[in-house]
Amino acid sequence: MARINPKFTKELQSYGAFDTNACYNCGNCTAVCSLSDEDNSFPRKMVRYSVLGLESEIESSLEPWLCYYCGDCSATCPREAEPGELMMSLRRYLTSKYDWTGLSGMLYKSLTTSIIAFVLLAIGVIWFAAEQNFMPEHLLHYGHYFEMLAIGGVFLVILLPNLFRMWNMVIRKPKVKVPISAYFKSFSELIVHMFTQKRTLGCDDSQTRWFEHLILVIGYLSLLFTTVFLDWFATDSSFVLILGYVESVIIFSVTFIFMIGRVNKKTQQSKNSHPSDWFFVIWLFLMGLSAFVVRLFIDLDILETNIWMYLIHLTVLVQWALIIVPFGKWTHFLYRSFAMYFEKLKSLSAS
Amino acid sequence: MKKKIGVYVCHCGGNISDYVDVEKVREEIEKDEGVFLAKTTMFACADSNQKDMVTDIAEKQLDGAVVASCSPKLHLLTFSAVAERAGLNKYNYIHANIREQASWAHSDDKVGATEKAIQIVKAAVAKVKRSNALEPIRVEATNAVAVVGAGVAGLRSAIELAESGSQVYLIEREFFVGGRVAQWDDLFVSNETGKELITRLYDKAMNHKNITLFTGAEIVENSGSVGNISLKVKVSPRHMKLNCDEGNLEKAIEVCPVEVPDKFNFNITTRKAIYHNFPGEYPQLPVIDMEHCTRCGECEKVCKNVDFSQQEEFLNIKVGSVLLATGYDPYEPKNDEFGYKTIDNVVTLPQFKRLVHYCDDKLVYKGKEVKNIAYIYCVGSRQVDGENKYCSRYCCTATIHAAITAKKKYKEIYNFHFNRGIRTYGKQEVLYDESSRMGDIYLQSFEDHPPVVSKVGDKTMVTIKDILTADKTLEVEADLVVLVTGMVPRQDNSIGSLLKVPKGRDNFFNEIHMKLRPVETVIDGVTIAGASQGPKNIMESMNSSLAAATKSFSLIAAGELALSPTIAKIDADNCEWCGKCDDACPFSALTKTDVNGKQVAVVNEAVCKGCGMCMPVCPSNAIELIGYTDDQIESMIDALVSTH
Ligand SMILES: Cc1cc2nc3c(=O)[nH]c(=O)nc-3n(C[C@H](O)[C@H](O)[C@H](O)COP(=O)(O)OP(=O)(O)OC[C@H]3O[C@@H](n4cnc5c(N)ncnc54)[C@H](O)[C@@H]3O)c2cc1C
Ligand code: SF4
Ligand code: SF4
Ligand code: SF4
Ligand code: SF4
Repeated sequence: MARINPKFTKELQSYGAFDTNACYNCGNCTAVCSLSDEDNSFPRKMVRYSVLGLESEIESSLEPWLCYYCGDCSATCPREAEPGELMMSLRRYLTSKYDWTGLSGMLYKSLTTSIIAFVLLAIGVIWFAAEQNFMPEHLLHYGHYFEMLAIGGVFLVILLPNLFRMWNMVIRKPKVKVPISAYFKSFSELIVHMFTQKRTLGCDDSQTRWFEHLILVIGYLSLLFTTVFLDWFATDSSFVLILGYVESVIIFSVTFIFMIGRVNKKTQQSKNSHPSDWFFVIWLFLMGLSAFVVRLFIDLDILETNIWMYLIHLTVLVQWALIIVPFGKWTHFLYRSFAMYFEKLKSLSAS
Repeated sequence: MKKKIGVYVCHCGGNISDYVDVEKVREEIEKDEGVFLAKTTMFACADSNQKDMVTDIAEKQLDGAVVASCSPKLHLLTFSAVAERAGLNKYNYIHANIREQASWAHSDDKVGATEKAIQIVKAAVAKVKRSNALEPIRVEATNAVAVVGAGVAGLRSAIELAESGSQVYLIEREFFVGGRVAQWDDLFVSNETGKELITRLYDKAMNHKNITLFTGAEIVENSGSVGNISLKVKVSPRHMKLNCDEGNLEKAIEVCPVEVPDKFNFNITTRKAIYHNFPGEYPQLPVIDMEHCTRCGECEKVCKNVDFSQQEEFLNIKVGSVLLATGYDPYEPKNDEFGYKTIDNVVTLPQFKRLVHYCDDKLVYKGKEVKNIAYIYCVGSRQVDGENKYCSRYCCTATIHAAITAKKKYKEIYNFHFNRGIRTYGKQEVLYDESSRMGDIYLQSFEDHPPVVSKVGDKTMVTIKDILTADKTLEVEADLVVLVTGMVPRQDNSIGSLLKVPKGRDNFFNEIHMKLRPVETVIDGVTIAGASQGPKNIMESMNSSLAAATKSFSLIAAGELALSPTIAKIDADNCEWCGKCDDACPFSALTKTDVNGKQVAVVNEAVCKGCGMCMPVCPSNAIELIGYTDDQIESMIDALVSTH
């Protein structure tokens, strides 16, 4: 027996949902959704859970991650209940439910809090730089350390426990019996989805969107690798040098295209932008661009005299690594892949 | 017997002639001595053939005509009219059906079909030889209408009739007009209040010289027939000469020691024995309810216009037509139906409407503030086991409208609609949209799994297997449960039996034909309007009341009625008054009458429908049906069985 909570849609609104209550359960959205199938029927089901405020059902649902926001459902809904935007909001809601620190929810729900967090980190960076007397060598050195530390720290302290919480909500609590062997058998699912996001291909709308996403993910991950492990800013290898340039160009140009899309609002998924969506694209764009310029300054030998450029890059990097990656939209990339993994586990438990 | 009969045998394209040898039929029938002319025709109903028939009948002075063609349901009237146009009385035209009865029925046997067609036409010829010219029965009609019930439907019909020029007697059983609508505040879809609507209608009706309103009045006797109906009306006294002087009425009510449940508020409040339903109600004159008054005389001391000497009065009125607009009752749930009367916070929708009327800034029921309201739809309608199979039509919309009103009027109201599919048809759909956008929650089940209302500790829980959530069982803690009760016929519907108006399967008054004759009843001169005919909202009640008014008016407007002459006729010499015909007649057209010192049955010509039910039961064969006499029918039978 589930108790109805009519106040829930109000809460969801702070995550970006709107007009959800207008739904009259016609099911058109589910019918038109090219990713919905018999085992995972959505988005109507999620709309219904949301209207009724069935929080534990929502927490154990993987459906929000199975949606790649093509927006067909919103375009089809006769009541303009924006089911696609609801799915997006549920992803934000779930992200904050998985997050043990509670920061995710605070940042999603309040733009002011987000801005304060960004500003505080910027001040922190500048204060640290001042401590170091703005010495380029020190700054670059610590910057590199920071990258390595942030990757490990964020993963171990935030993301790993959060993934564990996600597993707890979707597998353990609802008592899904999964044989241990299934965890290994399905592992490839996780890797494949993480790197290809091939599920997007199932969307009817466009293959270009998938392609853009794919090269962005590859570009992003390899730039990460190039800067952290190949130490791009300090490298002597011309191969690494060029690789880094190419990767950063890919990142800022693809994100630039995305930003234009959000401004023009031509497609369903870019019609409604939550602040967190803007932060994500803008910061990724800034990361790509600032990394590119920093390396250019190094190559032109003018960084020493223009250390402000590195400071900008470092600030963007710190904000990205400490806000957007652990608590913002970046996590979707992780949760989506794990959702596919858990979904596979669930299907194996059923059979 | 006629000697100059014209017969037309139709091919009906090929519908008849493909199986029936129409030429042979013509040849055979031509041999009949009374037949003066026999022709075949491709389409008897075609304009050209109709013109030929008119010429034939008129020029050749035919004294009878037969068309052998399709069913009389299709074209009897067409060819009767042809006969009339040619100057031949329409009762001297006889229709023979050789399509449905011969060609279509026996398409596998052409010879047999042809023979049968010949017999059928011969029978028609036999009848037409013996037919007589008949003239319609003319009765004088009184240009006055009794409108029964002064709800919205009755008021609206009365105004329409008065404006058309009829005298109107508006007879209302209660002491105040307006019917149910007076009980509702805000109305869908226009958001006027019931009071506003009634005020407008009442003012208009009272300003018309042709309308006489009787309140506290009821028809107790009825006789006569369409055009000339005599009614006896009982008028109960109000026991008030005039309204009390300024302010004294409220005092008189205050001093009255008798307190009874207030029916007007569906018993959620009480009233005194001297009362009015609400200030400013029409007529603006209070009433003393003698059923409960103890004659203590307290009110009389305060208000000098109280008058206990008033007596019941009986009035005899004469009208040409009666328009019934007696409305409906809300369904009264059975004990414990969804916790009604057993769980303390379960009310009906009418009670809820009154409750919202009385609660100003907080919705409070039995001392507790209400936040969560659960509405249970279709209570007493669309029943699986009960008799009320119909949908009450008004209630989905009225509930949603009431829910929106409550949500706007009070803070923090949550509405939960436990429905079986929402039927806010037409323009009313916008309310459904509005309410769900406001956050109202809709839960739906099939009839076999209705929601359950139960008491858990001191909480009232409503649970449902929601088909919109994959049959998940969901629950709501409700501060108030509102049973959305449907419409049922008036509990006291004796007026229907008095006037012999038939009821439909739903027990509401029944029309002759849902689509084609929607406001007439089989009782000539009695029309029906508003919710007395079945569930209707105000707009639909208005539509039907205007239709019924027009229909009633058209019956009597000419001052004379032309009725069909094919009715029963009693041979007084043979009749011994056994009363069997009276028992058999469904319309009470027969009365025992003294004719030259003998008790015999006499047919009321304006009432008899010519159904023929009385004929076979008469032991002395004293009844003939004009147009279907024994002689005519027997001759047809002879023709049908004759071998040629
Ligand atoms: C809770 C509720 C809310 C509603 N809200 C709306 C709304 O918002 N909008 C809307 O369009 N509709 C609404 N309706 C429907 C509306 O009430 C009806 O459409 C309307 O009352 C029908 O009018 P009527 O004149 O046919 O019948 P009634 O209103 O029932 O009037 C009949 C009259 O006939 C009188 N009478 C009965 N028997 C006799 C007799 N034997 N002799 C003399 N007089 C007699 C009665 O006393 C009464 O005055 C609502 C109904 C309910 C139950
Ligand atoms: S946005 Fe696309 S993928 Fe997501 S639920 Fe709607 S139709 Fe399905
Ligand atoms: S299409 Fe819109 S109204 Fe229909 S079920 Fe989906 S969200 Fe609800
Ligand atoms: S109008 Fe609605 S509540 Fe009323 S009987 Fe019909 S379906 Fe049920
Ligand atoms: S013909 Fe029918 S209506 Fe006429 S008196 Fe006989 S039974 Fe009654």
